[in-house]
Amino acid sequence: MDDFRFRKVKQNLGVFWGNFGLPLIFIIIVVVFSLSNPSFATRYNILSNFGFAAYVGIAAIGMTFVIMTGNFDISIGSMLALVAVLGSSFMPKTGGVIGVLATLAIACSLGFINGIFVTKLRIPAFITTLGMLFVFRALAFIYTNNVPVYISDRFWLYIGNGKLFGVIPFPVLLMGICYLAAYLVLRKSPVGRYIIAVGTNARAAALSGINVDNIKILVFTLLGLFVGISSIVNSANQGAANPGLMGQNFEFQVITAVVLGGTALSGGNGSLGGSLIAALIVTFLGNGMGLMQVNSYWQLVATGLVMIFAVSLNKLKFYLLGQGEY
Amino acid sequence: MRYAKIAFIAVVCLVLILTVSFLGCKKEAAVEGGGMAVTTYANASDITIGFSLWTMQFTFFQNVEKGVKDACEDLGFKYVMIDQNSDATKMVQDINSLVGQKVSGIVVTPVDPGAIGPAVENARQNGIPVVCADIGKSGPINALMISDNFKGGQLAAEFLASKLNDTTKPLGLGNLLPQWTYARQRGEGFLAKALELGYDVAANIIVQNPSAEGGFDTMQQILSAVPDVAGVYFCSGREAVGAAQAIQASGKDILSVGYNGDPEEFQAIKDGVLNATILQEPYFIGYRSVEILAEILLEGKFYENVEVPVDVKLVTPENMDAIAAEILKKTGNSAFPE
Amino acid sequence: MIKFLKLYEKIGIFILIVIAGVFLAIASPNFLKTDTILNIITQGTYGAIVGFGMVLAITSGGFDLSVDAVVALTSVFLSILIPNIGIPSAIIISVIISCCVGFLNGVIITKFGVNPLITTLSMATIIRGVSLLIANGKQIPISETRFSVIGTGKLLGIPIPIYIMVALFIIFYLLLNQTSLGRHISAVGSNESAARISGLNVTFVKIMVYVLVSFTASINGVIRTSQAMIGIPSMAPGFTLLVITITILGGTSLSGGKGNLIGAVFAGIFISMIYYGLNLIKVEYFYQLLSVGLVLIFALFVDGLRKRYLEAARIKGIKV
Repeated sequence: MDDFRFRKVKQNLGVFWGNFGLPLIFIIIVVVFSLSNPSFATRYNILSNFGFAAYVGIAAIGMTFVIMTGNFDISIGSMLALVAVLGSSFMPKTGGVIGVLATLAIACSLGFINGIFVTKLRIPAFITTLGMLFVFRALAFIYTNNVPVYISDRFWLYIGNGKLFGVIPFPVLLMGICYLAAYLVLRKSPVGRYIIAVGTNARAAALSGINVDNIKILVFTLLGLFVGISSIVNSANQGAANPGLMGQNFEFQVITAVVLGGTALSGGNGSLGGSLIAALIVTFLGNGMGLMQVNSYWQLVATGLVMIFAVSLNKLKFYLLGQGEY
Repeated sequence: MRYAKIAFIAVVCLVLILTVSFLGCKKEAAVEGGGMAVTTYANASDITIGFSLWTMQFTFFQNVEKGVKDACEDLGFKYVMIDQNSDATKMVQDINSLVGQKVSGIVVTPVDPGAIGPAVENARQNGIPVVCADIGKSGPINALMISDNFKGGQLAAEFLASKLNDTTKPLGLGNLLPQWTYARQRGEGFLAKALELGYDVAANIIVQNPSAEGGFDTMQQILSAVPDVAGVYFCSGREAVGAAQAIQASGKDILSVGYNGDPEEFQAIKDGVLNATILQEPYFIGYRSVEILAEILLEGKFYENVEVPVDVKLVTPENMDAIAAEILKKTGNSAFPE
Repeated sequence: MIKFLKLYEKIGIFILIVIAGVFLAIASPNFLKTDTILNIITQGTYGAIVGFGMVLAITSGGFDLSVDAVVALTSVFLSILIPNIGIPSAIIISVIISCCVGFLNGVIITKFGVNPLITTLSMATIIRGVSLLIANGKQIPISETRFSVIGTGKLLGIPIPIYIMVALFIIFYLLLNQTSLGRHISAVGSNESAARISGLNVTFVKIMVYVLVSFTASINGVIRTSQAMIGIPSMAPGFTLLVITITILGGTSLSGGKGNLIGAVFAGIFISMIYYGLNLIKVEYFYQLLSVGLVLIFALFVDGLRKRYLEAARIKGIKV
C-alpha cells in the first residue's frame, strides 16, 4: 500500500517536473542573476534579452517540427546567411513589405529544396543538410562576392530593432505570434496530428493514409520559413547581412535549444513551449554571466555545465514516471 | 471550423499589429544630425567604461583588453568587460546590454564591424559615445582606432623584395578566411606592393583552418603549387608560425613573414624559424580608445567619425630586441612567451 | 552488377578519388609529383584518424562533437608538459588526460541519459574553456625540436603520420571485426534494447566507444602539435565538421550498426584532395566549399541508389 502511494507521489512529481521543470530552471537562473547584479533585472535588460532570444527561438519552432518527424537540419546557419544576403540585396528595389515577403518566400524555397532532397531523392536528412551547409554558405559568398550587404530599409530594420509603444522590442511580439501560430498548427489542426504520427511511426502513418513525404517536405519548408524570419530579425539587429559571419554555429544553438526543451531526437511528440524556454535560458545565461563579469574562460565551462545539468534534470521526469531507461 | 475561426482571428490580429507597428516605425524615424549629445562628467570616478571584445582567446585581443583595463585604472574609471565569444549576434546583444547598464562610454572591438550599426545607434541615442578599437565600423561612431593593415602588407612585400633582390623569384601569400573582411587589406597591400616592385605572387591561398596547423597545411600547398617559391607572407601570426615549421620540414630556404607580433612570432624570429613579422600595437589601441572617451566625457571634446590610424612596424631579427624592450617598457608585457 | 555494387560499398570513394585524380593531373602540372601526393595523403590522415573514432561512435548509435576541443586540450598539455617531463611521458600523459574526456562523455551519456549530441557539444565548450584556463589564454611554443619528428619526419620517404594512420587503421579494424567489443558496438548500434536484453553491458561498451573517440582525437592532437610546434587552446576550429563529413562520406550509416573504416580513410584523402587540388589550380575558396557540398550530396545520392537497387534485388529473390 505504502509502495503504491509512494509511486503515486513519484508519478505526480514526474508530471509536475515534466510540465514545470524547465520553467523552474529558467526562473532560478533569472532569480540568481537578479540577486547578483542590479542591472540584470531592469525592464530594459529583460525585454531586450527576450528580443534577442527570438534569433534562436523562432528558428527553434521549425527545428522542433523537423525533429518531431525524426529528421534533422544542420544547414540552417548557412541558410540564415544566404536568406539574409539575398533578401537584403533585393530590398532597395522592392521596398519594405514586398521585400520581406519575398525574402520569406526564398527561405521557404530553400527549406523546400532540402525537403525534396530528403524525401524524393531519399538522401538522409543529416547528409542532405550537411551538404547544403557547404552549398548555401558558398552561394552566399559567391552571390555577394564576400561584400556585406548593408540594410537601409526602415521596415526591415524595424522588425529587428523597433519597439512597440517604445518599450517592447518588436522581435518579442514576432516570436509570440510565431509560437501562437505554431501552437495552433501543431495542436489544433490535422497537420499537427500528421506530423506527430509521422514522427512516432512513419510506416504506420503511411498505412493510415498520410502522405509521409508531403508532411516531411512541409516541415522542412516551415523550418525554412522560420529560419527566414530569424534571418530578418538577425540581419536587422546587425544592420547588415554578412555572408561569412552570420549564423556561425546557429544550427547547434538551435538544436541545443530544441533538445533542451525536451523534444527527443528520435522523433515523436515534442514541446514547443520547451523550445521557447530553452532559447530564453540560453540567451539569459549568456547575458547574465557577462553582467556578472565572469571570466570568459569560466563562462565557457559554466555554459557547458549548465547545459548538461539542465538536460539531465529534464530527464528526471522519465525517472520519476518510471519510463524508459531514464 | 473552430480552427479556421481561430486562424482567421490570428491573421487579422497579425495584420493589425503589423500595420500599427509600421505606422509607428514611420513616425519613429529620427532626424540624423551631425554628432550627438553627450553628457559630460565632472568626476572621473562617476564614469564607467563598457568594453565589448571579440574574444579573449587570442593574444592580440588580450592585449587590447589589457590596454583598455590599464587605461581605466590609470584614469580612475570603472570598467565592465563583456566577451563576444566570436559571435556577431552576441556582440549586438552585449552592446545593448552595456547600454542597459547605463555605462558612460563604450569601447568595442567588433567581431563583425558591419554588424554594429543599429546597436551603436542605440547607444548614441542614449548619449553614450562609442569608440571602435581596431577592426572597423559601420555607420556613424565617435572614433575608430584602426591599424594600418594595408601598410602592413606593403611592408611585408618590401621586406621580401629587399632580401630577395631578384624579381624572377615567385612569392606566396597565405590569406585570411574571407569572412574576416576587415583584414583583407593585409593581403591587398602585399599584392599591390609586390606588383609595384615587379614580383609575381604565384600562389594566393586561403588558410582554411585559421590556426598554426592550418598554416602548416597551407604552406605545403604553396610548396606544391609553386615549388620554387622564394618568400611567403601569412596574414596572421599563428598561421605564419605553423607555415615556418612547414618550411623547416621541407628543408628549403624560403623567407617567411607573419603579421601581428604575437609572442610566439617573436620566439620564432629569435629561433631563426620566422624571418620577420609586422607588429601591431593592440595595447596602445586599447589604451588610446579609453583616452579618447575620457576627452569626450570629461572635457566635452568633439569627436565624430574620427579615424585614428595606428602605425605598424616591421620586426626583423636585427631590430627585434630593441622593439621587445620598447614593448616591455610601454605595456609591462614581455614580447616573448613566458 | 550485384557484385560490383557490393564492391562499390567498400571502395566507392576510391572511384571518386581516381576520377578527381585524373582531372587534377590534367589540370595541374604539379599534381603528379611524389611530394604533392604524399602531402595530400598526409593531410587526409588527420581527418581519417579521428574518423576511425567517429566511425565507432556512429556505429554504436552515438555521436561525438567534442573532438576539436580534445585536439586543443592535447596540444595545450603537450606544450606544458614537454619541457618538464620529456617527450614520451608528456605524450602518454596528454593522451590519457584526453581519454578521460571521452570517459566523462560516456559516463554522462550512459548514466545521466543525456543525449550524446548535447553532451559532447557541451563538453566541447567545457573543454575549450578548460584548455584556455590551463594555458591562461596564451599560446605556448615548444622548443624541443626532436618532438617535430612525429608530424614532419619521414621514414623510407613516407611521412610518419601515414604510418600512424595505418597502424591505427589495423588496430581499429581488428577491434571492430575480430573482438567481442567490436561485435558489441555493432549490436548496441543496431538495436540497443535488444543488446541490453541479451545481457550486454551497454554502459561499458558506450563508455569505451567515447574513450576511443577521444583517443583518436588526442593522437591527432599530438601529430598536429608536433607540426605546428606550439600549444594552442583555440586549435582546430571547425575540425569536428570535417571529421563528420569524412565519416559520412566514408559510408558509415547514421542509423548505426554499420561502420566503414576503409571508407573513412578514402574519404579523408578525398576531401584533402579536393581542397589541396583546387588550391593547386587556383580555384577560389568559395567554389571549393561549393564543390565539397555538391560532391557530398552527389556521392551519397549515388550510394542511396545503390542501396535501393540492392533492396529491390533482394525483394525479387536474387541472392545478395
